[in-house]
Amino acid sequence: MKDRLRDALRRSRADFTEIRIERSWTSAVTFRGARLEGAHAHLDAGGFVRCLNRGRGWGVASFTALEDLPAMVARAHEMSLAVHRAEPIVLAPVPPHEADVVPAIDGDVRGISLDAKKRYLEALNEEMLRTDRRVADTQAAYRDEVTEYWYGNSDGTLLYELRPEVTLSAVAIARDDGAVERALESVGLRAGWAAVQGREGQFRAAAERAVALLHAPQVRGGTYPVVLDPKLAGVFVHEAFGHLSEADFIAENPQAREMMTLGRRFGTPLLTIGDDGSAAGLRGTLPFDDEGTPTQNTVLVQEGILVGRLHSRETAARLGERPTGNGRALSFRHPPIVRMTNTYIANGAGTRDDLLDGITLGVYACDALGGQTYLEDFSFTAGHGYMIRNGELAELVKDVVIGGNLFQTLERIDGLAGDFRWNQMGGGCGKGGQVPLPVTEGAPHVRIGEVLIGGQLP
Amino acid sequence: MIGPLLELVARRVESADVVEQAEETTNVAFEAGRLKSTGYSQETGTNLRVLAEGRVGFAGGTSGGPEDLLEAALASARVGQEASLLLPAPAALPPVRVHDAHVAAAGLQELIALGVDVAVRLRRDGCQVSVSVERAVGSVHVANTRGVDARHAVTSLALAAEVTRVQGDDVLMVGSYLAGAGWPTRPEIESLVASIDRRVGWAARAAEPPSGRLPVLFTPAGASVLLMPLRQALQGRAVLQGISPLGDRLGLEALDPALTLVDDPLLDGRPGSRPIDDEGVVSRRLPLIDRGRISAFVYDLETACRAEVPATGHGRRSTFGRPQCAYSNLHLLPGDRTEAELLAEVADGLLVDELIGVGQGNVIGGAFSHPVALAYRVVGGEVVGRVKDAAVAGNAYQLLEKIAGLGSEVEWRGSLGLPPILLEGVAVAPR
Repeated sequence: MKDRLRDALRRSRADFTEIRIERSWTSAVTFRGARLEGAHAHLDAGGFVRCLNRGRGWGVASFTALEDLPAMVARAHEMSLAVHRAEPIVLAPVPPHEADVVPAIDGDVRGISLDAKKRYLEALNEEMLRTDRRVADTQAAYRDEVTEYWYGNSDGTLLYELRPEVTLSAVAIARDDGAVERALESVGLRAGWAAVQGREGQFRAAAERAVALLHAPQVRGGTYPVVLDPKLAGVFVHEAFGHLSEADFIAENPQAREMMTLGRRFGTPLLTIGDDGSAAGLRGTLPFDDEGTPTQNTVLVQEGILVGRLHSRETAARLGERPTGNGRALSFRHPPIVRMTNTYIANGAGTRDDLLDGITLGVYACDALGGQTYLEDFSFTAGHGYMIRNGELAELVKDVVIGGNLFQTLERIDGLAGDFRWNQMGGGCGKGGQVPLPVTEGAPHVRIGEVLIGGQLP
Repeated sequence: MIGPLLELVARRVESADVVEQAEETTNVAFEAGRLKSTGYSQETGTNLRVLAEGRVGFAGGTSGGPEDLLEAALASARVGQEASLLLPAPAALPPVRVHDAHVAAAGLQELIALGVDVAVRLRRDGCQVSVSVERAVGSVHVANTRGVDARHAVTSLALAAEVTRVQGDDVLMVGSYLAGAGWPTRPEIESLVASIDRRVGWAARAAEPPSGRLPVLFTPAGASVLLMPLRQALQGRAVLQGISPLGDRLGLEALDPALTLVDDPLLDGRPGSRPIDDEGVVSRRLPLIDRGRISAFVYDLETACRAEVPATGHGRRSTFGRPQCAYSNLHLLPGDRTEAELLAEVADGLLVDELIGVGQGNVIGGAFSHPVALAYRVVGGEVVGRVKDAAVAGNAYQLLEKIAGLGSEVEWRGSLGLPPILLEGVAVAPR
């Protein structure tokens, strides 16, 4: 395959050419309630070509018929020539790399039978169903993927990688007297079969929480001091801050660039935020991004000051900065765009209980069902929460939706515990129609002095 | 490859069905008002379902021969769910336009010219304009072992535009899109541009958020928060699992009599239009809510079989995995008042165009609570400015039991068509 790439790159008439070829084996099992929805395995394969010429734009081609590679290179070149630009597109230089990266997988999923995967998930699903008679419905899913990946470009980079991935997810739906509640648990790892064994407790926890939420009161809407658990804090940093750090948003927008000027204060000196695609063993970890740039730890906010942002080769050149290895594509069907990898809030000191201390009435918001940002405005739905009364955790509450303005909220972070952890969840990030991209988020417990909680509004 | 595949399959299993989809797309993208990239993609995929020894199996692929696909489907069936599968018999296909010769023949330069036209119309000082145009040409071939063998050519053209304005820490993003089988008409493009212009214009001034239980006019884009619980609750699968709040209300009045919700795959040229679904069931128009009364749920073959009802033609398949049950073109029938007339009725309230975080949480339960992304304060029937620091909350089922007004113009966003909806007593809180 490398020879085919080299050959196609050599024959390309474009000033710059890059090619990705992917071949991925997937197996997936899903249960809904006690019923198996399906168990199947498939092979997906295809290629992606991108060409750039001086004074012209990008020409892109993606295809599933791999024998068409030479024709697709020619087509991408022609499409590039069709785009006339007064302002040239420039790529920041990246030294060429040749590498084969094949991680040791703890139990290659390709060696495990579909039947064994089904039986394991059935047992996990059964854990949810037998937890309580009010568990009316479940969704249990297992999915694995092993991708063989080749990347080459006309700068001389040529890579081969094996990218494994395995995910398990649990959704429990409880029903009682017309009330319906859901709870989710998931795990997603760049690993093999062994890494997802023994997850019965997690599935049971989803079922127990869905049942407990049935009779939990809705949180009363209003402004509270809020403590975020590491899961929700991680989703918060990804959604509310991470996306603003993606330089494609500011590259073409002078006003946005002003808003994100390096050196600007972004929160209190407690706060350090970064994105680390090179962190060992995480779902967002890769040796190289999908432009052949090595990944790295990029500090975005250092003690409250904006010091960096995430780049592709193109945005780095546009802003006169260095590529950070954040040009990522969901698959051969998509071009690389600026994306996060493993995004984190750096650790603080002390315990969660230290953060609760001194809060007369507040909310402890846990877990994330989802989050969305409208740039400086955001909304997160916690999976569940607890009231904080006089410095202690009190009753379970539901429908905890946190909304706010990013800049104000970062300024109001007034405590970080010393219990940092990475959250290896399933799912993934969505942007520009490319979803779900594997990412990880990490954080300690975070206290925000004041934030709006939706729910029952007055 | 469907012919040889079905011949092979028929010798080995009780029954099977297959869909083969081929598509070539061409797209052009403008960033900051300038043409940035053009792209081409080609993909062919086959999805096979078999019933073997009483068990269902699935397989899909973009390459490989019929033997590989059948072996993968049999392997899936060996561990598959025991089920019966009643495949539809061949039937006459209803007429519906899903292909457009102009779209199929359009060259790259014509797609670029369309994008330039929109980008130029949207240009304004201090704003960044992004536009994308994507054209697809393809075919869908559905067949089964009972003799269904239907193949139709399809086209689609999607045009998306967004204006971004950053002033200090204030960010405004206003977008819209058009999608269908045909080339967008001049009035459609003008109305897309006018809709973006109007919303950007309204946002020139900031307004203080109101508070309390207030009248809120949801634009067609904003009203999707009200539709999302219905979309989930009307799924036959949710009814079967006992988690649909509407599951036991078939035939009963559940919503305002002004509301009629229809799923219609036979509308000409819409993104969800099709003469036959991906499981071989012939398409038909299906009212789901008829003047406030719950009149039907949607089923694919599997859920219909389990519920012992006829399939409604909502099977949707992609290359990989099992068929899903999905709406075609879902739309609310229009009411009798223009948006301007509805707005004139709002003494003090909000016009909501976009909320943040729609679709998170317990959607099927109907309760929602979201900060506004794009909303405007309305005083005395006039928009007075953009409201940022506010959240709206309510329960979609309760709010739709009695509505204050329904707009006379349905706006389509992809395959969802909604008129503006005026509601009274929506909880609004400042932040």
